[in-house]
Amino acid sequence: MTLHARVQTQLGSLHLDCDVSVDSNVTVAVLGPNGAGKTTLLRVIAGLAPVATGRVEVDGVVFEDTESRAWLAPEARRVGFVFQDHGLFPHLSVLDNVAFGLRARGMNRDTAATKAHEWLERVDLGRYANSRPSALSGGQSQRAALARVLVTDPQALLLDEPLAAVDASGRLELRRALREHLATFSGVRLLVTHDPLEAASLAERVIVLEEGHVTQEGLFSEVSARPRSAWIARMAGLNLLRGAVSGDQIRLEDGSSLTVATDVAGPALATIQPRAVALYRQAPEGSPRNVVRCKVAGVDPEGDRWRIRLDGPFPLVAEVTPAAAAELRLADGGEVLAVVKATEIDVYSM
Amino acid sequence: MTRGVTRRPLIGLVIPAAVAVLFIALPLVGLLAHVDWSNLPSELVSTDVLTALRLSLECSAIAVVIALVIGVPLAYLLARTSLPGRRVFRGLVTLPLVLPPVVGGIALQTAFGTTTPIGTVLQHLGIVLPFSTAGAAIAEAFVGFPFLVITVEAGLRQRDDHLEEVAATLGARPWRRFWQVTMPLAAPSIAAGAALCWARALGEFGATITFAGSFPGTTETLPIAAYSSFEGSGQVGEAITLSLLLLAISILVLVVLRDRWLGALR
Repeated sequence: MTLHARVQTQLGSLHLDCDVSVDSNVTVAVLGPNGAGKTTLLRVIAGLAPVATGRVEVDGVVFEDTESRAWLAPEARRVGFVFQDHGLFPHLSVLDNVAFGLRARGMNRDTAATKAHEWLERVDLGRYANSRPSALSGGQSQRAALARVLVTDPQALLLDEPLAAVDASGRLELRRALREHLATFSGVRLLVTHDPLEAASLAERVIVLEEGHVTQEGLFSEVSARPRSAWIARMAGLNLLRGAVSGDQIRLEDGSSLTVATDVAGPALATIQPRAVALYRQAPEGSPRNVVRCKVAGVDPEGDRWRIRLDGPFPLVAEVTPAAAAELRLADGGEVLAVVKATEIDVYSM
Repeated sequence: MTRGVTRRPLIGLVIPAAVAVLFIALPLVGLLAHVDWSNLPSELVSTDVLTALRLSLECSAIAVVIALVIGVPLAYLLARTSLPGRRVFRGLVTLPLVLPPVVGGIALQTAFGTTTPIGTVLQHLGIVLPFSTAGAAIAEAFVGFPFLVITVEAGLRQRDDHLEEVAATLGARPWRRFWQVTMPLAAPSIAAGAALCWARALGEFGATITFAGSFPGTTETLPIAAYSSFEGSGQVGEAITLSLLLLAISILVLVVLRDRWLGALR
């Protein structure tokens, strides 16, 4: 089974223009900052949001095709949508919530109740069958919402920020439980999140969506090691530079150059780990090749590493020990020299 | 916490405020003072009073049913769709709220009177509205149903259509969404709207007497009976008994609605 969605649409100031393919049996996370169009993409797939042009197809069933004017109503698409707020019906018992989709598709009351009960047991909510959703905790209501869509045996499972409505203390356990439940579903699994940790722990593949466009996709480890946008780099905690390589020099967009050790030639991206940036007040001994004159723009103490934001020809973040920061009086600001070894710069083509 | 500055009220405001309270309280006290408590039980069960009460309950119940059948769909469309001319419709619905009831009665007469086209058609079907019990119910519905529409529309607006979307993704078709999700969630506001509409219909006087007249047993509802016994026959005692009955019903409605409707205004 596969889901294929090619979507172009304008929603307020957002122009969503993306082409996404998801195979079944692999959990895929659409990762991106708030307002990137992630939820809109899910809503388009479910038939809840209109598209200007595009085509949505799941396992050969055309949900929407603006070219042939094909359109399936949301209720006719076999899509399980777990909403960010879980969307449980407050006026129905937990059991009736889970049975709702079965009843809506014509199953008789008793059979639907029996099946719903089975699923409630499966997600460990059997004893809440007759409770109202308001009696459930965040994690429980999420499991109820998941059971409610899985009981209808959908072709695709869509989850919008699955852990957003759950308080932080319970997330660790929930993430594990959710991953296990997801693994039992063999159809297309697509979730949307702004949290890299969630994407990394729940999904095998990530699709990075920024301002309506896919900027990168692949395994989480690949994406975070070699980011292709400033947002992913920041999320992965890396400095990202953009430029063109010739020989052992990368010429950056601002005109400055750094010495690198790479076989790549032409337009390229380069990342530098913040801890690979060494800071000095006076020119260091020896003759390091990459010395960048910067101003301290900010100091963010984070445990035993302090993150130092630098303003120079290009913005840079360095990580130093609190002791080093104190010795260099970085909190006073002023000018510093940032030194990076050529071998610490990871260069890859654009 | 009361802010210190406003804790000591301005004396200049206390006096008119006290007058306002007395203004409402004194007539009520007067009414209660003139009740002949010893004869009250027998007057309450007198044929005249019972006839008027039965008629009032009948007409107001029909009015509420009419309001529900046509008012809820209108409230839904006003709240949930981008119907062209929605503002105009909303204004039109609220018109009976501010329109003098007598004008409403005359307007009903000009639309459904026996000599009008609609009235003629209805007459062929064996229905005569003016000066009939059905006419009294129609007049009450005309005046009361805006209360229902406004209350239900506000209730529907309070929630967006998110849960209807959820129901759609679960496979529910539009009518199932309406009956299984929209209506149950709107039930409290529908109940409140119906109660307000009923209370208004029960107390209706102007439109009813203009459109339906005052025939004991046919169109003479409680308020009309109270007025005619007070004005015509000089039976002040019976007028007071009927007024007391209406007052009791009004207080009952207030008590029932105190959280739902008055709470929203708090």
